[in-house]
Amino acid sequence: MTRTWRWIGVSLAVALLAGSAMWRASIVNGDDWLPISQEELAMKSLAEAPGASAVVLYRQVDRDDGRSPHEDNYIRVKILTEEGRKYANVEIPFLKDSSDVRGLKARTVRPDGSSVRFDGKVYEQTIVKAKGVKYLAKTLSLPDVQVGSIIEYKYTTDYRSGWVYDSRWVLSDELFTRKAKFALRPNPDFALRWNWPMGLPANSQPPKEEGGVIRMEAQNIPAYQIEDFMPPETTVKFRVDFIYSEENVPEKDIAKFWKNFGKKSNDSIENFVNRKKAMEQAVQQTVGAGDTPEVKLQKIYARVQQLRNTSYEKEKTEQELKRDKEKDTNNVEDVWKHGYGNGRQLTWLFLGMARAAGFDASAVLVPRRSQSFFNPNVLNERQLDDNCVQVKVNGKDLYFDPGTAYTPFGMLPWWETNVQGLKLSKDGGSWVEVPPNDGELTKIERKASLKLDSEGTLSGKLTVTYYGAEAQTLRLDQNLEDDTSKKKLAEDMVKETVPVGIEVTLTNTPDWKSSSPTLVTEFDLKVPGWVSGAGRRVLFPTGLFSAPEKGLFEHAARTYPVYFHHSFRKQDDIDVQMPLGWKISSLAKPAMLDAKAAVYSMTAEDKSGILHLTRSLRCDLMMVPKENYGALRAFFQAVRIGDEEQVVLQPGSTSAGN
Amino acid sequence: MNRQALKLCLFFGLLSTLAGPARGDAPAWMHNLVNAPLPAHDEKADAVVLYEEEVITVLSQDKVRHTVRAAYKILRPDGTHHGIVGASINPSRKILGMRGWCIPAQGKDYEVKEKDAVEVSIPKISGSDLISDVREKMIQIPDSNPGNIVGYEYEVEETPFVLQEVWGFQDTDPVKESKFSLQLPAGWEYKAQWRNHAEVQPTPAGTNLWQWSLSDIKGLREEGDMPPWSGVAGYMVVNFYPPGGAAADRTFHDWPGMGIWYTSLTRGRRDATPEIKQKVAALTANASTPLEKMDAIATFMQRDIRYVAISLGIGGWQPHSAADTFNHRYGDCKDKATLMSAMLKEVGIDSYYVVINTRRGAVSAGSPAQVGAFNHAILAIKLPEGVTDARLAAVGQDAKLGRLLFFDPTNTYVPLGQLAGHLQDNYGLLVAPDGGELIELPGLKTNSTGTNRKGSVKLDAAGNIQGEFVEVHHGDAAWGQREYLKTVPKEADRIKLVESELGKSLANFSISKASVQNLDQVNQPFGFTYSVTVIRYAKTAGDLLLVRPRLIGVYSSGLLENQKEPRQTPVVFEGPEKDTDNFEITMPAGYVVDDLPPPVDVDYSFASYHSKTEVAGNVLKYTRTMELKELVVPVEKLDELRKFYRIIASDERNTAVLKPGGK
Repeated sequence: MTRTWRWIGVSLAVALLAGSAMWRASIVNGDDWLPISQEELAMKSLAEAPGASAVVLYRQVDRDDGRSPHEDNYIRVKILTEEGRKYANVEIPFLKDSSDVRGLKARTVRPDGSSVRFDGKVYEQTIVKAKGVKYLAKTLSLPDVQVGSIIEYKYTTDYRSGWVYDSRWVLSDELFTRKAKFALRPNPDFALRWNWPMGLPANSQPPKEEGGVIRMEAQNIPAYQIEDFMPPETTVKFRVDFIYSEENVPEKDIAKFWKNFGKKSNDSIENFVNRKKAMEQAVQQTVGAGDTPEVKLQKIYARVQQLRNTSYEKEKTEQELKRDKEKDTNNVEDVWKHGYGNGRQLTWLFLGMARAAGFDASAVLVPRRSQSFFNPNVLNERQLDDNCVQVKVNGKDLYFDPGTAYTPFGMLPWWETNVQGLKLSKDGGSWVEVPPNDGELTKIERKASLKLDSEGTLSGKLTVTYYGAEAQTLRLDQNLEDDTSKKKLAEDMVKETVPVGIEVTLTNTPDWKSSSPTLVTEFDLKVPGWVSGAGRRVLFPTGLFSAPEKGLFEHAARTYPVYFHHSFRKQDDIDVQMPLGWKISSLAKPAMLDAKAAVYSMTAEDKSGILHLTRSLRCDLMMVPKENYGALRAFFQAVRIGDEEQVVLQPGSTSAGN
Repeated sequence: MNRQALKLCLFFGLLSTLAGPARGDAPAWMHNLVNAPLPAHDEKADAVVLYEEEVITVLSQDKVRHTVRAAYKILRPDGTHHGIVGASINPSRKILGMRGWCIPAQGKDYEVKEKDAVEVSIPKISGSDLISDVREKMIQIPDSNPGNIVGYEYEVEETPFVLQEVWGFQDTDPVKESKFSLQLPAGWEYKAQWRNHAEVQPTPAGTNLWQWSLSDIKGLREEGDMPPWSGVAGYMVVNFYPPGGAAADRTFHDWPGMGIWYTSLTRGRRDATPEIKQKVAALTANASTPLEKMDAIATFMQRDIRYVAISLGIGGWQPHSAADTFNHRYGDCKDKATLMSAMLKEVGIDSYYVVINTRRGAVSAGSPAQVGAFNHAILAIKLPEGVTDARLAAVGQDAKLGRLLFFDPTNTYVPLGQLAGHLQDNYGLLVAPDGGELIELPGLKTNSTGTNRKGSVKLDAAGNIQGEFVEVHHGDAAWGQREYLKTVPKEADRIKLVESELGKSLANFSISKASVQNLDQVNQPFGFTYSVTVIRYAKTAGDLLLVRPRLIGVYSSGLLENQKEPRQTPVVFEGPEKDTDNFEITMPAGYVVDDLPPPVDVDYSFASYHSKTEVAGNVLKYTRTMELKELVVPVEKLDELRKFYRIIASDERNTAVLKPGGK
């Protein structure tokens, strides 16, 4: 079984003083194995994991962060199908200079209870070796593994003495886990805080500290799997995080913890931002005396975005960085003078300038919900890893993040919206709800003026306009690309929306480099064979740009909630001129679905012989619980029915189709 | 200085440059390229090769030195990957020196040295080696951005397993100039063979030194369903030989010679141990015929020996012993072939290795013998006299060895007698006792692979349908379905396979009463049966009902639709295929047919498609057949293939019109 232990927040780099007595008989010493029950030997399947190729019957992790930090691991896996035999390939990666794997023992137990001890070679393979880094893996393959076998292995990972590492119990595995036991003896010299941000598996008791050891047992942990539109991995995997801090006593009061963090962050940010005179000069160079407050703010925003944003440049090698000799940036004045900064620094520059222009502006720390979801009850300050600025404009609290490239004025990147943020102040700050972007400003609009020929081919002009987050996402995607790549992307985006093969050529020069709220792309479009034959008649499907919704949520079952990054709208407006002599004999039935948070409509009209089609899809959903998946699926299935409606055409003397 | 002397200077000059210029400046050979004309390229070219050169210096039978240098002009952001330079290493192949440079369009040169290199193992993917000693040593050249020139030199010394080198001079980037030099010790000889390029004679460049040179080599584009790279890109294979027939076990220049080499590698590996003999006896105890014995052994290989690849040193080519594979119950393709061969021998049946490439077209009749041409091993089983059975389709006749049954013990989903599509009509090296021969494996009949669907549904006046479907999959079609179902993490996910297929054709459907047939019985056709309800399948237009007779199944393809540039390479199909659909739609009471789609009959040399919609009483009947008859469609027939797919797409959307009776 492949296991990758991800160590977070590497070290606090302090020598350890405390001793550590043996606190539990090691599970990895010697050739002793835990007893195997008849039920485990005879098991053919597990009702809790139907169809599983293998299940973890038992897993134990005992970690000691004391004088000789180490972790003992014991894993027992039941092989249920031929496919499950792949779990007999075991790979244990480790960082050579800070850890080592020793005492690796393994065996295969046949269904009759007889066992084959692994006495083959354990290979030590290089995964990556670079200056100062050796990432290796101990690898072995257990012999004689058949369906019904139990494989088990155990090993100890030693960590560098004198170092303390944050750690994590990852409960969710790619296999169902029947029973797992975890223990951690913390380092006594540092405060340790632990939390389980995604909750715990059903019927599991939270970790408890007893006799200086934190322990937890869990049963029936579901396997982790991947689905379309699922929330970030970190938000669906059960885990317990352990975070060391330099405090003597860990702050356990939630409100106090965040107040303390807020004060500390406020001090640091104010120290960076508070360059009043320099900021006033910068504002003077940026705005006009007669500008309204809103115009002033827009000009400041635009000016900040004109500066070089180093967060969006190609990663440089050490040599390039040395040659660039970029100056140290200690505050917003430096950012302004140098004419560059990273995204975070630019956003704080905006804060400084907004204040200097007389606005009531505050720093706000926000989570990135593209990676994980913020939970204030989880006392981990790393959750708030992004920043924006709150500005009061005409009595309204507006939010800005000019440091994230291509963010239009008045909007935030989607991952900073709909989140709880910490608005900083001297006293530690207060929680604010960062609102979603205006849904009406995030959409894709397609306008097409086309002609149908008697062979059934559609051709003409198409304009696709991307608004708000849709435009920003494309611009970020193409940030380091050239015109050829951008043209290809724009054309590919159209190809992906039409359910049949098309010919499409970009005809304009879209504005890829600005933070304009729109990105306009224009094309020559040709759709061969769009209509279909029905004897004397010809049928024209209404959903010309319906491909993205075609395969959406096709599966009836769902394991995780559905997660949409942001609300979206799609609006199509298409005119189709008929071939000479052709008539529209029957229009498609209009469709209208109103599920409140999601609305779809489709209309077809005969405008003096020109077929006029409209299609509108709006979705203001973000997180749809698993229980409501059926309703969501039904909505999108109904959208597809609407998209497949047909307009009946009556050809003249020649007919289309085959 | 005469021309000969000049060439020698250039050659030794190249080697000496590895010591390098001072101050981190790029070497003179790179600076000489700054204003050199670029090879012809289009706006999509990421980069062009200004110069590349490989010098092979054979120091002895056991020591060969490679000196490699190349320079690229980066044209587009996607070309920046040329700033990452890698050289393959293993315990018998060591780097002696490695450096890279960048000449920026503006500013001073950059240099990066071996001390800054990173070593990485080959990333693991499904089916790759679990354990391998091959690693890549890589350097990153600074400022590898559009407009700049990056270049590198490295020197590698290796103990070769075979005295053979390959010059692969054609890739995706256009090349201005490419050179390959071979320096042999006194008395040695060489033989060069070319593929996908006209032969070019070398220029003698000194004593036992030859240099081949090419210029303005066209870049190849990657295209969907194209032949494997070695089937279209130019390369040269050069074999070299010490005097007096020395190192005979590591030299060859043709397929029989390579067969002898492989025989020497596998000698003794197929010896059966007492445990193997005992297992064979147990497996075949109830088998009364040779075919039953072969079946029992094949099933054991497919089910009980799992695929695990451990490739260390020569282990990439040399199998583990049958005993090791049997004891561990695991091995890679050649290990499995070895053990199976040993077991077959115990029941009196001879078998031979066939080394092959899993991509048809990588090796063809005119390919030079080359170790790296193959990536897989299967068995050719000599069928005993009188063994005939309708199941034994993958049988070929060899002039010397007689009737041979080709079998892949690694593929757990293709039964004895059948052969996966990618191995059919493919070329492999049959390793026979007296050497080897390049043979073409048999192609199976088109109906050996495919899907047969039958559906019978009732349509109501609201346009809803409800009915039952039966799908039967043969050959590769069955293999793919079985593989998916066996690898889904939970039982509930099995239905997703059917849902995904139906989702291509149906909206708002629900499946009930689904079942799977013969999931584990690979000798039997694999199948699904299920009931489906589709809401508003038929559309209304006034009082008309518009019904698509093709209920499910998609054979059309957009493969040739979305490429603007003329295609350079043929289209290659995975294997032969014949699919049929038979659907019946019972019309709602009171409706009659007003219009039917026309029948479709298309027959090209490579494929055919026939469909028709008929009415029988109140039932609309749709039948179609799609057959892939040739496995490669050459470039000159691609317009026909595009038309073929468009006709299918049109037929798949064609609609029947029903109207209330009497109107």
